Amino acid sequence: MTTTKHIEMRNVRKGFRFFTLEDLSLDLEAGQIMGFVGPNGAGKSTTIRLLTGLLAPDAGEVRVLGHPMPEAQAAAKQDIGYVADEMRLFPNATVGWHLRFVASIYPGWDESYARTLLKRFNLRAEQTVKGMSSGEQMKAVLLLALSRRPRLLILDEPTANFDPVARHEVLSEFTDVLRDESRSILFSSHNTLDVERISDRIAFIDRGRLIDCRDKEDFLECWRRIQLQVPSGATLPEIPDVVSRVIDGQFVTLTTNRFSGETLSRLGDSVREVHRMSLEEIFVANVMHHREACG
Amino acid sequence: MNPLTRKLIAREFFMHRWMIGGSVLAGLAGLALVARGGLMNFNIGFLFWLTTIVAFGVVVAMFGIATERKERVVNWVLSLPVAHGTYVRIKVFALLLCYSVVWLVLSAAAIGLILALPDLPDGMLPYAVLLSAFLLGNYAFVVSSALHLRSEGGMTLVVVVHNIAITLFMFAIAAIDGISHFMRGPVATWNSAFWTVLVIEFAVFLFLMALPFLIAARRRDFI
Repeated sequence: MTTTKHIEMRNVRKGFRFFTLEDLSLDLEAGQIMGFVGPNGAGKSTTIRLLTGLLAPDAGEVRVLGHPMPEAQAAAKQDIGYVADEMRLFPNATVGWHLRFVASIYPGWDESYARTLLKRFNLRAEQTVKGMSSGEQMKAVLLLALSRRPRLLILDEPTANFDPVARHEVLSEFTDVLRDESRSILFSSHNTLDVERISDRIAFIDRGRLIDCRDKEDFLECWRRIQLQVPSGATLPEIPDVVSRVIDGQFVTLTTNRFSGETLSRLGDSVREVHRMSLEEIFVANVMHHREACG
Repeated sequence: MNPLTRKLIAREFFMHRWMIGGSVLAGLAGLALVARGGLMNFNIGFLFWLTTIVAFGVVVAMFGIATERKERVVNWVLSLPVAHGTYVRIKVFALLLCYSVVWLVLSAAAIGLILALPDLPDGMLPYAVLLSAFLLGNYAFVVSSALHLRSEGGMTLVVVVHNIAITLFMFAIAAIDGISHFMRGPVATWNSAFWTVLVIEFAVFLFLMALPFLIAARRRDFI
């Protein structure tokens, strides 16, 4: 039996006047949470709009839940919960009206889960959308997406307007979704703390190009910052896969993306400290390395 | 028509229900003033009737399309299982339905008033029919523009052109001999001049209503 990938992007290109998304290939399997990380203007939202059928690629292929996009977007969106930071509900309608409206469209609507989320997110059904804060509105949009029980959640900066408590509540809900292994999440953000907390696979994008994509643990295991003390006149042994080198007198800080025991044995006694890197540090180092390599 | 399409059309109607009711009442109030007789009442009442139909058309198109896009509500609607082409069809159909209620009631009431009042010559009927048909076409122009123009400046220009067009139309139609000659007559004259103008109006209306579908079919990016 073959399982359909939830997201398949092959050599996708999308050009605008001042920006081009180039040669993007990305896969997301069922049961995965992929963190999609990039600086502002990197192409995260463009990628997500291609996945939701709002944009059509100039070249390449986009398939979501087995459906070609944007041609079969209506069918694909039956099983996609798409939430973007910029989304707003009908301002003059109440939360309750939206709940009834969405419930009437989706056969898989989970009424009891919707009621639970309503309480957990501290929302009231009789609230009119225009009287809600932007954070509350985003919670309502998330509630409407989560209660459909979609197979694929596509989230574009969903926690941007949240305070730390709200962010914690929402991220917990995302991980709960994955208890059902037939579901998956693509989570775009430039908040690496959120991404590190919930993702099991991470893709870095910068200036319209995918620069790295692998399991979170791979990133955390392979990237290290090594502090060395090199006596004056001595030369450092050649270390492959050094992405940055900062020299301050006798002290040298190396950042590597392929750390192993062999790296340490090559460096020998000069090693003073080895630091694990946070996802944010890995992200910044990765982006800077990519930019230097591209000129 | 699938259930989602039906629900979205019904939603549009539901959202504008107060504006539809208010506009019908305001337009009828204008016609009631005309019914009181006298030139002053006719002028004020007619202006009120005309302004109500025109303003409703502009406001409903702006609220239903331009504001929905500006406030990013459209982003949420398009997260539902609906394609762009369907969204455009829903908007055109739903907004036309909303406008039709106001337009039909007020146009029919105006024609009824001409027939009922002895002070108003029945010769005005062709003029009233052509003016009403023009208002429908002019509304189609605003809806079609609102669906495709992204800039506020562009929409402001559309509204200005839309308003000026009504005045120009009234002057132009009154200058057509085959229509103006019979306007003050005791009976309505449905001559070739009338039918020619009506057919042109109908063709323009159909073209403007079809334009959003043609553009949506060719458009690759929606947001």
